[in-house]
Amino acid sequence: MSKLLVSPSPHIHSKDSTKSLMLDVVIALIPAVICSVVFYGWQELLVLGVCVASCVLLEWAITKYMLKKPSTIGDLSAVITGILLALNVPYTTPWWVVFVGAVVAIGVAKMTFGGLGQNIWNPALVGRVFLLVSFPTYMTTWSKPQGLFGVDAVSGPTPLGAIQEGLMQGSTVQELTSAYDYKDLLFANLGGSAGEVCALALLAGFVYLCCRKVIKPWITLSIFATVALTSLIFWVINPARFTDPLFNLLTGGLVLGACFMATDYVTSPMSVWGGVVFGVGIGFLTVMIRYFGSYPEGVSFAILIMNSVVPLLNMWFKQKKFGRK
Amino acid sequence: MAVKSNLTNMVTVLGLTCLLCSAILGGAYVLTKEPIDKAAAQKTNQAISQVLPHFTEVEYNEEGRYYTAKDAENLVGYAIESTTVGFGGALSLIVGVTPDGVVYNTSVLSHSETPGLGAKCTTDQKFMSQWKGFNPAVKKLTVTKDGGDVDAITASTITSRAYALAVENALKTFATLSEEASSGAFARTGSRSDAEEDASSEIVNEGGQNHE
Amino acid sequence: MSKFKLISDGLVKNNPTFVLLLGMCPTLATTTSAINGLSMGLATLFVLVLSNMAISAIAPVVPDKVHIPVYIVVIATFVTLLQLLMQAYTPAMYETLGLFIPLIVVNCIVLGRAEAFASKHGVLESACDGLGVGLGFTCSLTVLGLVREILGSGCVFGYNFIGGNDGMLAFVMAPGAFLCLGYLMVLFNKYLKKN
Repeated sequence: MSKLLVSPSPHIHSKDSTKSLMLDVVIALIPAVICSVVFYGWQELLVLGVCVASCVLLEWAITKYMLKKPSTIGDLSAVITGILLALNVPYTTPWWVVFVGAVVAIGVAKMTFGGLGQNIWNPALVGRVFLLVSFPTYMTTWSKPQGLFGVDAVSGPTPLGAIQEGLMQGSTVQELTSAYDYKDLLFANLGGSAGEVCALALLAGFVYLCCRKVIKPWITLSIFATVALTSLIFWVINPARFTDPLFNLLTGGLVLGACFMATDYVTSPMSVWGGVVFGVGIGFLTVMIRYFGSYPEGVSFAILIMNSVVPLLNMWFKQKKFGRK
Repeated sequence: MAVKSNLTNMVTVLGLTCLLCSAILGGAYVLTKEPIDKAAAQKTNQAISQVLPHFTEVEYNEEGRYYTAKDAENLVGYAIESTTVGFGGALSLIVGVTPDGVVYNTSVLSHSETPGLGAKCTTDQKFMSQWKGFNPAVKKLTVTKDGGDVDAITASTITSRAYALAVENALKTFATLSEEASSGAFARTGSRSDAEEDASSEIVNEGGQNHE
Repeated sequence: MSKFKLISDGLVKNNPTFVLLLGMCPTLATTTSAINGLSMGLATLFVLVLSNMAISAIAPVVPDKVHIPVYIVVIATFVTLLQLLMQAYTPAMYETLGLFIPLIVVNCIVLGRAEAFASKHGVLESACDGLGVGLGFTCSLTVLGLVREILGSGCVFGYNFIGGNDGMLAFVMAPGAFLCLGYLMVLFNKYLKKN
């Protein structure tokens, strides 16, 4: 009797093509990785190392001992999850906290749902949000970049955190943003996660992936456009309370989130229009959380919320089938 | 096992059930009223004894939301309830102030701060112990970040600021209370000398009133 | 049906939390520590046994159309009784459980067992059923509370074993509750299938 394999979308057909896609993503992430290690030093390298190693090890162990299936670490998706999670946490995070994050990202968000292709939520983000809730002091203590061999970490709020705190104290946005130079935001002289500080390196990687046709740019572009447009509207109405669009585009994990996390194959819509709506939702939610929510940063939550909506988007915006009008 | 329903037996059964149940509950209420009141009073006393030295009687002022604690006619201090807006919602403290204007201790009544961050206002020993014997005349009542002498909770500046503000508000209430208490003594002597000095003044000093 | 089997069924085969999936709201909300879970379970057990007994006694005379309101009044009486007793004699736990004590009235387990079992069986058997299901509920709440307490605050029954520090705070909040419940359910049902 022949076996009919029925599985949920998206369908990844052969391990080899998955691997080559993932390899391209790893290559695209290399500039950001190098950038963050140069800025944050050996501690960032440690975080990256522990994260990637834990993710790979956990996936191998779970597939071998719990699922009793052949190992899937060869497709490099665990490596990517590891890199992305590491880029999202402060470089001063202790190794065991990073390990817990990896357990949640791989064990809970990915393998519990059935492995690659079956998860609903972006594993790296689930891990990151879990850590944010579980270890708030480690995860909200952002230290300024130290350079390759720096030792003393001076902690301070990220630009977004400073804005939120300042607003609660009654300062206006103009007073607060005058402390920051946009050049600094782009080239990372301020505290923040590695994802925040290496915007140019990340954008370079994104362009590479678009050229290689690994990802289509509409999700990312619609996120940027929506963030810019929404924050523009609010900023024009009340510049003392709301930060301007350029500030919003450059701070927080937006560049990392838009380029690498929202575009994850498994957790994003398949069709073009589905992707655009997805991007619009993420952009809008990010701005809302930043302006009105309790957390200074909203990209992680926005992406996770929109991940939940993806099955619906896939249903509403069906991909064009060959042979049909 | 179900009985066929008709208007009579439905009304009877429902009515009887409700009567019986209310009787049982009424009886239970009467029996437990005393222990409940006792437990409530004990809870209040415990809350106040955390923030003031030993006292034998306590009186609550509804309007000002403070307790006056006495030990055999001697004023032990005031336990003042103070609420500010923290990071996640209302932060309610009870602040014990002795007559010399020094904070004896503080205690959190309720809060909605983030666990692990602002919620440490009830567990962080370093933060909590600094309020014991906090003398506002000597130390500045703002967080160190704003140039004051209050050590904030790590990564929870907003909660710490709200806490300091609540203590400040409680101390303001104390200031008005102690003014009222002392003006009661001055007004009788003060009004005579004022009337002598400003004979043409329109202000009339009546006993107990203090004009600023 | 033997009385003992009734009790043991409620603990394992008909475990209200992991098998019947009833009473999820208090399960998730009150299991922030082992003691809280235990207290909630015992409170529900108290109501379950008494209401089962009372309802099985009056079921033969209750007209069919009004049986739900009558049962609810009976259950509510016992819950209010419990509330008054807790307020008087265990005020600290009363404050901790707060809103969830009166919510026992609408806990599906209580009305569910009343309808499904107590109204059709004798008083003693209903008591045993209530006891079994109540014990099952108490055990699962205590276990869930213990797991969340160990992971989330590094405490066991209030005793902190990681030097006064916090644990992984997600577990004392809603997300951790769902995660723990889910994984415990997996483990429980796997064990059940094996035997």
